[in-house]
Amino acid sequence: MRDRIQEALKRSKADYTEIRIEEKESTRVVFRGKELEVANANIDKGGIVRCLIRYKGWGITTCNNLDDLLNKVDQAYQCARVGSVPEPIELAPVEPVEQVMTVEMKRDFRDISLAEKKALAERYNQVVLGHSPKIIDTQAVYSDSFTKIILANSEGMYIEQDRPSVVVGTTAIARDGDNVQQAHDSLASTQGYEYVLDKDEMMKMVARHAVELLDAKPVKAGQYTVVADQMLAGVFIHEAFGHLSEADFVYKNPKAREMMTLGRRFGKGILNVFDDGSIPNLRGTTLYDDEGTPARRNWLIRDGELVGRLHSRQTAAKMGEKASGNARAINYRFAPIVRMTNTAIDNGTTSFEDMIKDIELGIYACDVYGGQTQLENFSFSSGYAYMIRNGKIAEMVKDVILAGNLFTTLENTDAIGNDFKWLNTGGGCGKGNQFPLPVGMGAPHIRIQNVVIGGE
Amino acid sequence: MDILTQLKKQAEQVEILSLQNEKTIVEYEANQLKTCTVAETKGTAVRVIRKGKLGFAASTDDTVMDKLAANALESAAYGDEAPFSFPDPKPAPVVRTFDKAVADLPIARLVEIGKEILDLILPVEPNARCNVSLERSLVSASIRNQKGLDVSFKTSPLSLGLEIDRIEGDDVLILYDQLGTTLWDKDYLDFARRLVEKLKKARTITTIKPGKMPVLFAPTGTLALALPLSQGLNGKEVYKGTSPIAGKVGKKLFDENITVVDNGIIDGKFASASYDDEGVPHRRNVLVEKGVLKSFVYDLKTAAQSGVESTGNASRGLFNPPEPSFTNFVIQPGQMPLKDILAGIDEGILVEDLLGIGQGNIISGAFSNPLALAFKVEKGEFVGRVKDLSIAGNIYDLLKNIAAVSKEAQWVYSTFYAPYILISEMNVAGKV
Repeated sequence: MRDRIQEALKRSKADYTEIRIEEKESTRVVFRGKELEVANANIDKGGIVRCLIRYKGWGITTCNNLDDLLNKVDQAYQCARVGSVPEPIELAPVEPVEQVMTVEMKRDFRDISLAEKKALAERYNQVVLGHSPKIIDTQAVYSDSFTKIILANSEGMYIEQDRPSVVVGTTAIARDGDNVQQAHDSLASTQGYEYVLDKDEMMKMVARHAVELLDAKPVKAGQYTVVADQMLAGVFIHEAFGHLSEADFVYKNPKAREMMTLGRRFGKGILNVFDDGSIPNLRGTTLYDDEGTPARRNWLIRDGELVGRLHSRQTAAKMGEKASGNARAINYRFAPIVRMTNTAIDNGTTSFEDMIKDIELGIYACDVYGGQTQLENFSFSSGYAYMIRNGKIAEMVKDVILAGNLFTTLENTDAIGNDFKWLNTGGGCGKGNQFPLPVGMGAPHIRIQNVVIGGE
Repeated sequence: MDILTQLKKQAEQVEILSLQNEKTIVEYEANQLKTCTVAETKGTAVRVIRKGKLGFAASTDDTVMDKLAANALESAAYGDEAPFSFPDPKPAPVVRTFDKAVADLPIARLVEIGKEILDLILPVEPNARCNVSLERSLVSASIRNQKGLDVSFKTSPLSLGLEIDRIEGDDVLILYDQLGTTLWDKDYLDFARRLVEKLKKARTITTIKPGKMPVLFAPTGTLALALPLSQGLNGKEVYKGTSPIAGKVGKKLFDENITVVDNGIIDGKFASASYDDEGVPHRRNVLVEKGVLKSFVYDLKTAAQSGVESTGNASRGLFNPPEPSFTNFVIQPGQMPLKDILAGIDEGILVEDLLGIGQGNIISGAFSNPLALAFKVEKGEFVGRVKDLSIAGNIYDLLKNIAAVSKEAQWVYSTFYAPYILISEMNVAGKV
């Protein structure tokens, strides 16, 4: 295969040519209530060729039949020829690497029978269903995929990497009369099957949260000091800030360019935020991105100041910065675009006890149920929450929706915890029509003053 | 060995779907040509019923057929009980869905059509940012099963999509429409001309006092009514018991001006073909006739679960088993010319587009949407665009009493055909 790829690249007439070939095997088991809904195995093999003609633009072909790569390259070249661009397209330089990497899993999930995977999902489903008669519906999911990726380009780069993924997750729906509540959690890994075993406690916790929410009162609207748990803080930094750091968004949108000027103040001096695809075994880890740029730590906020952003080779060249290892595609049917990898608020110094001890009346908001962002404005609903009364965690409350402005919220973040945690949840991030892309998020607890909470 | 022959030895029932799709996509972003893509997909999906249980597997790698067969059998070992059989071969209507004129469209011609569309918009609206997506596909599908069914069909879908953003100060107007056809349509620019007309008409802005008033839904706006209805008419929702009209076949549920048809056998339409995705012949399914509920739509599985026949409405992608879905969804036009309907409106609104159609608990029939584009009608005339309004209601109440259904109707969003529908009184909410 390698010879054929390199031959096809050599014969390309384009200024730049890139070939990515993926071979993916996946299995998925879903229980819904008492019933098995899905127990499937799929095989997906295909490739994408991208050709760039600097004065014309990009041409792309994607296909399942890889027998005639020369022809695919020519087709992509022909596609590129029909375009025209106002100014030539440049790519930021990246050292062409030659590297073949394989992943060894402790327990390779490809060697586990579908029967065993089904039994695992069924047991987790039983744990949730059996927790309380108030649990009226569940969903329990096991899924895995193993993708072998070959990436090569006309600059001499050749990389082979493996991307394993295994996920277990559950949703519990509890009901008491007309009162219906739900809770959800999932766990994902790029490690082996062993990572998703013995998660009964996690499943019980989901069931317990759903049932407890039945008795929780809706929060009273008002302005509160809010302590966000690692999950909420992690999702917040990804959604409300991270997407604004993606350079394609910045250069396409004049309003965003103004907002994201490097050197601008983003929060207090205690705030540090980075994106890092090079940390082993996290959900968003990609040692080389889908253009072959090595992953690295990219500081986005340093001591409360905006210092960087995320790039593909094209956006980096366009803005006169360096490729950052953030060009990613969900699969071979798509060209890479600027995406996050593992995004986090760096660890701080405040202990959780110190963070809450002086709060007379506040909210401890945990987990995320949903949310949306529009430029600097955001709105997130937490999965569950507790009142903080006189420095202590008190009763559970529900329907806690945090809405606000990114800049004000970061400025009002006055304590960063010393209990940093990476969150390896299933799910994924969506952008354009590419969903779901595995990403990692991390944060310690954070405290935010004067948060407006909607409600009755 | 052929995978069908091989699996027939190991399972009672077998179905093999082979799919091949060659697609050319030209995309313009913000009035500029962005990329040209040629995408080829080729794959096989297998369903088996073994010891009464259903298994599914799919693959895009045609060098590993043995593994695909093994995956399907392993899936069947843990699958659902299959309440149905794959179908016997049956003759299907001849439907024209392949046109050499579409199949032979070169990339350069798609690029040119993109320019023609931009040339319609930009001289009229220099501030508009247009995203144009032009897609031409060649699809070949074949379905075979252990009963000797062996059908194959070819379609040549062409789809032109246009999104226009016009931002002027605080005023944001976003419009979208598309043309979908499988036969060359010489009026391929008509959908874009309609959007230009809307943009021009939206120049004048006026106000209306919120409250109860006549609401006229344009064909694009009727989607807000049709989408909840289509969910209620889906056999899967009926079987699950979530459709509010389950068990009401034969009852008069709507105004007698309402007739709804699912029609997969119209020549050239986007969702047309001789067969559905399980090899059951497509047909014309009357769902609501003069207000009386006649039928739901089913695939093989949901039909068997409900004790009826498949209506030929199975739809699927390569990596997922079939589900019941609509082909071309048609609300039949009525008798009254649009100008006569308008003439009868003293003060009301025309609803062209709504935001967030399909969000919320629409299976109940309820909808609640801000209006993306609406016009005030005063004494039978359009007097300007009205903003910051929203409407809400339940289609199972609203469609009981229709004031008029127009003679004029349009294909919108490729697979949806609808007239103008007038509701004589509806609450329109807004900033007071």
